[in-house]
Amino acid sequence: MRNIAEIFKREVRFYFTTPVAYVVIVIFTAVFGFIFYRNLAYYSQLSYQLMQNPYYPQRIDLVLGIFAPLFSSNSIIFLLVIPPLSMRLFAEEKKSGTIELLFTYPLKDIHIVIGKWLAAVTILAAMLILTLPAPFMSFKFAGSGEWAPVLSGYLGLFLMGLAFLSLGVFISAVSENQIVALIISYGALLGFWFIGWAIEPGSAKPAAKIFEELSVIGHLDNFVKGVIDTKDIVYYVLFIFTTIFLSTQALESKRWRG
Amino acid sequence: MIKIENVTKMYGPKVAVRNVSFEVNKGEILGFLGPNGAGKTTTMRVITGYFPPTDGNAYIAGFSVTDKPLEVKKRIGYVPETPSMYGDMRVTDYIKYVGAIKGVARAELNGNVERVIDRCALKEVYRKRVGELSKGFKQRVALAQALVNDPPVLILDEPTSGLDPKQIHEIRGLIKSMEGDRTIILSTHILPEVSMTCSKVAIINEGSIVAEDSTDNLGRDISETHQIEIMVDGPENEVVQMLTEIDGIGSVSRSGGSYLLDTGKDRDMRALVAKTVVERGFGLLELKSRSLSLEDVFLKLVTEEEEVRQ
Repeated sequence: MRNIAEIFKREVRFYFTTPVAYVVIVIFTAVFGFIFYRNLAYYSQLSYQLMQNPYYPQRIDLVLGIFAPLFSSNSIIFLLVIPPLSMRLFAEEKKSGTIELLFTYPLKDIHIVIGKWLAAVTILAAMLILTLPAPFMSFKFAGSGEWAPVLSGYLGLFLMGLAFLSLGVFISAVSENQIVALIISYGALLGFWFIGWAIEPGSAKPAAKIFEELSVIGHLDNFVKGVIDTKDIVYYVLFIFTTIFLSTQALESKRWRG
Repeated sequence: MIKIENVTKMYGPKVAVRNVSFEVNKGEILGFLGPNGAGKTTTMRVITGYFPPTDGNAYIAGFSVTDKPLEVKKRIGYVPETPSMYGDMRVTDYIKYVGAIKGVARAELNGNVERVIDRCALKEVYRKRVGELSKGFKQRVALAQALVNDPPVLILDEPTSGLDPKQIHEIRGLIKSMEGDRTIILSTHILPEVSMTCSKVAIINEGSIVAEDSTDNLGRDISETHQIEIMVDGPENEVVQMLTEIDGIGSVSRSGGSYLLDTGKDRDMRALVAKTVVERGFGLLELKSRSLSLEDVFLKLVTEEEEVRQ
C-alpha cells in the first residue's frame, strides 16, 4: 500500500508542477460551462414559450432539458482531454530512462500501474467536482430539481473517465513516445466509440449485439437518463480490470526486452 | 554475498552475455572490467533485477533474482551508467521518495536522508531540483539514492565516467571508504581505477569472463613470464642468436629499437644477461625489467580472445 501511495504522491505532484493538470482542468471546465450555459439558455427560453401557451405542459424536466444532453456531449470532451492526462505516465519514464531505476526498486508492476492510474484519477475527480456548481445553481434557480438522476449521470461520467484513463495508461505503457501515446489513445477511444455504429440500428444478429455492447460510450446512455444498470457498471469495471492487467503485462514485456 | 551462475542474456537472437559466473564475498569490492560493449551493463542489470537472465541465475544474499526479485531489490543500491532521475523533484524530496519506495521505516526515513546527504556531500544543493544540478552532483545524488536504504550490496555502473579529476577522486574515496561494510561491484573501463579501489577484478570481453582474481594476483599469475627489455649495439642476427643461447631465456622479440626477452618469473636474469652481452663484446646501452601492468594483462587477455576466435 505504501508503495502505491508513494508513486501516487509523486505523480500527483508532477501533474501540478507542470502545466498539464491546470490546462486540462481549465479547458474541461470552460467547455463544460459553455455547454451548460447554452443548454440553460435554451431551456429557459423554451419554458418561457411553453408558459405562454396553455395547451402545452407547464413544466418540463430540468434533468432531461439540461443535464442529459450536457452529460452526453461530455463523452466527446472526455475523449479530447483525458488522453493528455495519461499519455506521459509511462512513455516519459521510458524515454527519459527513469524507468531503469524504477525497475530496480522493490516494487511490483501492479503497484506502479495502480499508483500512476490513481494519480490521473485524482485529476479526473477534481475536474468533475469543479462542475458541481452547475446543478447546484440550476436547482437553486428553478426552485426544484431531482438530484438522483444528476448524480447517476456523474457516476456514469466518472466510470467512463476511469475507463478512458486505464486505456490511456495501457497505451502509454506500450509506447516510447508521449505524442505517439496520445494519438494512439485518440484512435483507440474513437474506435471504441464507433464500434457501436458499425451495425445497422435494430439489427438482431448476435454479432451486432456484441459490437453494440462493446461501445465505451454507449454504456453512458443509461446513467445519463438516471438508470443505473448493473450491466453498465460491470462493463466499465471489466474494461478497467482488463486494461490495467494489460498494462502490467506491457511492463513485464518491457522488462524482458530490456 | 553476490553469486552469479552461468548467466546468459540475449536480446532477440543477439547474445549480450554468455555463461558468466563469478562470486563476490561480503565486504569485497569487485572491479568489473571490460571494453565498451563487452556486456558489463547487461550483467549488472541482471544482478539488480532490472531484467531477468535468459538462462542461469544470480543470487544476492541467497535470494535468486528470478524467484525472489523483491527480496533482491531491497538489498541492492544501484547507480546506473547515466543516472536518469526525476529532474522536477528537489534533492531531499527525491531521496526521501526513493527511501520510502525502498521500504525504509517512516521513523528512520528523515534520519537516513540526512545521513546520505551528509555522506555524499550534497548539503549545498539539497534544496535544488535534481534537473538543475551539474553532472558531478547528479552522480552524487544517484549514489545517495542508492545508499538511502543502507543496502548491503552496491552495484555501480561506471560511477566516475564524465566527471572531472577532482570529482573522480572524491567518488573513488567514497567508494573505498565503504570497503568492508558493503559488497560492491564497480564496472569501469579505466584500469587505474581498479587497482586503486578494488580488491578483486573480473575481466569481461565479448560477453564472457576471461579472467577473475584478486587485483594483486592478476598481474602476477596471468603472465607466465617476466620480461627484460634490453638495448644492444650490434648486428641484429648475431645479437638475437647470442641472447637466445643464454640459459633461461624463453624467447626474444624485437620491439622498436630494443629486444624483449621472456624469462621465467622466478629468476632474476638481469645480471646474467648483462654479463653475457658485455663479455661477447657488444655494447650494452640499456637494460630494464618489465613486469606486466594491469593494462598489459587486460590488453593481452582481450586481444588473445580475439585471436582465438578468429
